[in-house]
Amino acid sequence: MAGHAVEHDYHLIPPSPWPFLSGCAALIWGLGMVTFFTGLVDRTGDNPMAEFFFARGLDTIQGREGAGGGWIILAVGCAFAAYVMFCWWRDVVREAEAGDHTPVVEIGLRYGMIMFIVQEAMFFVGWFWMFFEAGLFHKFRATWDTNILENAPAYADSMAPGITAIDPWHLPLMNTLVLLLSGTTVTWAHHALIQNDRKSAKWGLILTVALGIFFTFLQGIEYIEAFAHREAGAPWLSTDIYGSAFFLATGFHGFHVLIGTIFLAVCLGLLLKGKFRPEKHFGFEAAAWYWHFVDVVWLFLFAFVYIIFGFSV
Amino acid sequence: MRLISKLGLYVSALGLSSLGLSGLALAAQPKDGSIGFQEAATPVMERLVAFHNGPVMWIITAITIFVLALMIFIMVRFNEKANPVPSKTTHHVALEIAWTILPILILLGMVGPSMKLLYMQDRLPETEMTIKVTGNTWYWSYEYPEMADQVEAFDSLLLEKPDAKAAGKPYLLGTDAPLVVPVNTKVKVLVTSNNNLHSFAVPAFGVKMDAVPGRLNETWFEVLREGTFYGQCSELCGVKHAYMPIEVQAVSKSEFDKWVRNGGAFTTNTAQNSAAAASAAPK
Amino acid sequence: MAVIGADDTGYGHDDKPGFFARWFYSTNHKDIGTLYLIFAIFSGIVGGYLSFMMRLELGEPGVQIFEDLHTYNVFVSMHGLIMIFFMVMPAVIGGFGNWFVPIMIGAPDMAFPRMNNLSFWLLPVALICLLISFFVPGSASGNGFGGGWVMYPPLSTTGSPGPSFDFIIIGLLAAGFSSIFGAINFITTILNMRAPGMTIHKMPLFAWSVLVTAALLLLALPVLAAALFMLLTDRIEGGTGFFDPARGGDPEMFQHLFWFFGHPEVYIMILPAFGIVSHVVSTFSKKPIFGYLGMAYAMVAIGVVGFVVWAHHMYTVGMDVNLKAYFLAATLVIAVPTGVKIFSWLATMWGGSIRFTIPMMWAIAFIFLFVIGGVTGVVLANAGIDVALHDTYYVVAHFHYVLSMGAVFGIFCGFTYWFGKMFGVQYNKWLAGAHFWTFFIGVNLIFFPQHFLGMQGMPRRYVDYPEEFAYFNSISTMGAYLTLASVVLFFVWLAEALIVRRKVEDNYWGEGANTLEWTLSSPPPYHQFNQLPVIKDDDGH
Ligand code: HEA
Ligand code: HEA
Ligand code: CUA
Ligand SMILES: [Cu+2]
Repeated sequence: MAGHAVEHDYHLIPPSPWPFLSGCAALIWGLGMVTFFTGLVDRTGDNPMAEFFFARGLDTIQGREGAGGGWIILAVGCAFAAYVMFCWWRDVVREAEAGDHTPVVEIGLRYGMIMFIVQEAMFFVGWFWMFFEAGLFHKFRATWDTNILENAPAYADSMAPGITAIDPWHLPLMNTLVLLLSGTTVTWAHHALIQNDRKSAKWGLILTVALGIFFTFLQGIEYIEAFAHREAGAPWLSTDIYGSAFFLATGFHGFHVLIGTIFLAVCLGLLLKGKFRPEKHFGFEAAAWYWHFVDVVWLFLFAFVYIIFGFSV
Repeated sequence: MRLISKLGLYVSALGLSSLGLSGLALAAQPKDGSIGFQEAATPVMERLVAFHNGPVMWIITAITIFVLALMIFIMVRFNEKANPVPSKTTHHVALEIAWTILPILILLGMVGPSMKLLYMQDRLPETEMTIKVTGNTWYWSYEYPEMADQVEAFDSLLLEKPDAKAAGKPYLLGTDAPLVVPVNTKVKVLVTSNNNLHSFAVPAFGVKMDAVPGRLNETWFEVLREGTFYGQCSELCGVKHAYMPIEVQAVSKSEFDKWVRNGGAFTTNTAQNSAAAASAAPK
Repeated sequence: MAVIGADDTGYGHDDKPGFFARWFYSTNHKDIGTLYLIFAIFSGIVGGYLSFMMRLELGEPGVQIFEDLHTYNVFVSMHGLIMIFFMVMPAVIGGFGNWFVPIMIGAPDMAFPRMNNLSFWLLPVALICLLISFFVPGSASGNGFGGGWVMYPPLSTTGSPGPSFDFIIIGLLAAGFSSIFGAINFITTILNMRAPGMTIHKMPLFAWSVLVTAALLLLALPVLAAALFMLLTDRIEGGTGFFDPARGGDPEMFQHLFWFFGHPEVYIMILPAFGIVSHVVSTFSKKPIFGYLGMAYAMVAIGVVGFVVWAHHMYTVGMDVNLKAYFLAATLVIAVPTGVKIFSWLATMWGGSIRFTIPMMWAIAFIFLFVIGGVTGVVLANAGIDVALHDTYYVVAHFHYVLSMGAVFGIFCGFTYWFGKMFGVQYNKWLAGAHFWTFFIGVNLIFFPQHFLGMQGMPRRYVDYPEEFAYFNSISTMGAYLTLASVVLFFVWLAEALIVRRKVEDNYWGEGANTLEWTLSSPPPYHQFNQLPVIKDDDGH
């Protein structure tokens, strides 16, 4: 650098294409989202080419006629985004190896991760808020005079006694145990790493990732069951507000489990490649923090969404 | 200095406006160029106007003028020419405490009457009759649940411009079928909607209640004088949000009974009265 | 404010990257700040155009321009969204925040320079989505989304089935993530990268204001994101029923989620302006800011209380009266810390040696006009009175006094204050003065009469209104003409300054301007503070 030599420990990054390309990916992704969920053109048959790409992609999945490629833009957007993220984080890992992550930079990374998790927590506050509102106030609204307000029964039904909520003591309990266990294995891995016991660290992490996958698997079974029984009165996301709140809250949680699992799996890969040192492994710690966060959210879901409202309504 | 004089002009406009607020607006509909509330027709609105034009308006005008006057003084006294050497004062504990405590006191003074107004407005008294108001895209419909066998539910639509002229009603306020209520009667209003959000608002009554699909909101009014009162939908509800006015006809109790016995038909003198009253209303 | 240690960083021949890498792949906080400012100016033109068309329509009773009515609602909604998310926020947080927070705290750059650029690039993406939404089907009535910037369902779900609103959801999600990343970046930078000796209680007030703003963003935006996802899934056929009463859902719940974000959002827009005004007032009074700690913690208090008052936007939805009473009381509380700020600015000027430069005029006008906007906010906070004023032009007048005057005056204040620092050249003060005066008179002419319209009961979002509202509407539209001329003047002085290139010195404001940016060259070196400045312990407060 011209002028004074750099005499601070901060990490100045040279120009990077990834943020700009992330923006491009986001644009394609957004276009894909709209195409997939709403569609940009109607399926009239007048313009098969445009309709193939731009007619509502969800139709295909919901089993309506007119299968098409409405999912393609979304898929391209996702793939593009995934590629950019991969390159971006590859750069980060390289910089870490090159020693750019000085102590002060690492503190910054910690602040950043903490705040990212705070942000995620507020996101779930939104979903829980929705759930509590529905759970706590439907009874009050259900008392409205049905002669005057035709909707009142809908409030009563949506959270009425006898709705077949998902039994918390089967798969959900299992899932709770799986996540709690994974919380301990990731801590085990962390402590092993600090003591430079790489073998235990490796096994701890392998177990954690496996448990994460197992959780997703169980959750998948639960959803498939619910979907299969939705006509028989089991809640589904479109049946009523209980179903909506239930599936979107647990669904977004499931999505976060997936992210956490990938995060941990990447760390596992790095560990196997000999990366991370006992005194310096913030990437791993961040993954562990994130995993604990996901764990805590689940405990709230389990306590409120499954047990309390699954029961008392 | 130019800045100062401009600001001075400005505040005098503000001051004038606040003075003018108390004694204005007599019509039960908006009046061009007037700057206060429409004249109150219910006890709630009377109290609202008194509270606003009284303490609230004075407080905020006084605060604004105080800030402005202080600013002008500072600009005159402490500009570069008048005061070439700046002081270095950055603390004055007593002052800082004062400008924290004083606003608190002012606000505490405001909270009391404000709460009184709020509770009076919101707590329904023993009401003598009920009407149900439903918002539709884009018109209102009215029902008299207690008189359902006499007065059928009816829709109230905007009068197009020529029709409004013919009926002598203000365009965008007048409807083909007003809501009819007796005076000096506490009326409970149930508000709901069939599709989008709407809001049932009659300025002279101090009433504004959102019409929400799936919810039943309650409010009330007691009209103190006969006449025609206009309101407009006050929650964005789509293309014709500006075209679903509210017209309320307040009639004497006996006239109201007659109207009910007549099956709520608008061929009676009530309707004619309404047309006459509207054309007589000051424009 | 802080006095700077002896040593300044050197600069000289900067090795800047080539054009494309510099502006598209940027990792430099000043370049990114400039990008943000250009973006904000562009959005300001779009949002200003929309508002001007609205004022033209409302100039007299009857439908003049928007024959299909729907397009008017589209213009109103997009005007609100674009002005807020794409003009004010990028200007004050992305633009000035990026430019001056690192410099003021003595840091060489932001904590996460690459993520900083991501924050920027998500914004054009978001704006493109919003602009696309104009041209694709919204509802049965036409193209574009006409449900207001608040996007209440059912109008935004069943009421606008076309893809138009989906684009807005995606756009706002992108803008939201941009702001969240930005917030993480600012908080980390401020907490972790202050120069040696710069304790948090010596940090300049603009940095404080951005810190509080970033905290609000971090806590408020994710809730909006959740609400937007709910809208998205509700809109899908066979999707969820959060806001569908037929399935036990509740349209009002959206309003709670929205305003839980929306109210902090209004302070997100005004707090950085508070920060800017503090610097300008102190500089041109040639005095340190009065009651520095009180100023800083007043902003913290505004931020905290701002989270518990959201339902004052919902007094007429049919809330329980006790809840309304709570929100009434809580809302009034905010007047207290805001008053502390107003009076501290006045006390800073008191005893000072005031120079009426262009930024100082914007600052003085800001203080006064913000007080007007603030006290009408206090009127609205009284739930009983709000029943008469809610969704009328009184509210429009209130929030333009705090936005189109508060926030926008803050932007112009900062822009004229730092213009020479950012671009190394100075504007013509007569042109800039003409811009100030026309803008000042113009916006007052637009919005002051709207108070009267609101009191008389004229509802918002009306494409046509009864003749009885004609008089003040015509005045308001006359004001819009003047404001338009004024915006043209802004571009004139901007162009003139960039063409004529009057070079400025490092500290062209002289005595009084003593935050760190004034120790650097104008414009600052590509990388400042290669050697960190050391803050000595002898400053005024
Ligand atoms: C920058 C943006 C901004 C700011 C700073 C504010 C500040 C405030 N706002 Fe405003 N507001 C908006 C933007 C803003 N608002 C917007 C955009 C809307 C409409 C949204 C929509 O519906 O589209 C709105 C709407 C709105 C409403 C809802 C109206 C309705 O829809 O019915 C209310 C009600 O309480 C309100 C209140 C307040 C209050 C009490 C303050 C306070 O913070 C003001 C405090 C300041 C002062 C009071 C002045 C200075 C103080 C003193 C000099 C001390 C002495 C004063 C006293 C003792 C009173 N605002
Ligand atoms: C920051 C926010 C902001 C700003 C600046 C403005 C500015 C203006 N607004 Fe806006 N307005 C809103 C936010 C804003 N508005 C919102 C939220 C709504 C509610 C929407 C809804 O109901 O859903 C609204 C609604 C609204 C209405 C009500 C419509 C209705 O209800 O039917 C009207 C009507 O007159 C109006 C007019 C104007 C006018 C004439 C201006 C003029 O002041 C415009 C003049 C132009 C400028 C001020 C731009 C200049 C700035 C730049 C060129 C950028 C500079 C940048 C740098 C230097 C970096 N606005
Ligand atoms: Cu109905 Cu607006
Ligand atoms: Cu608010």
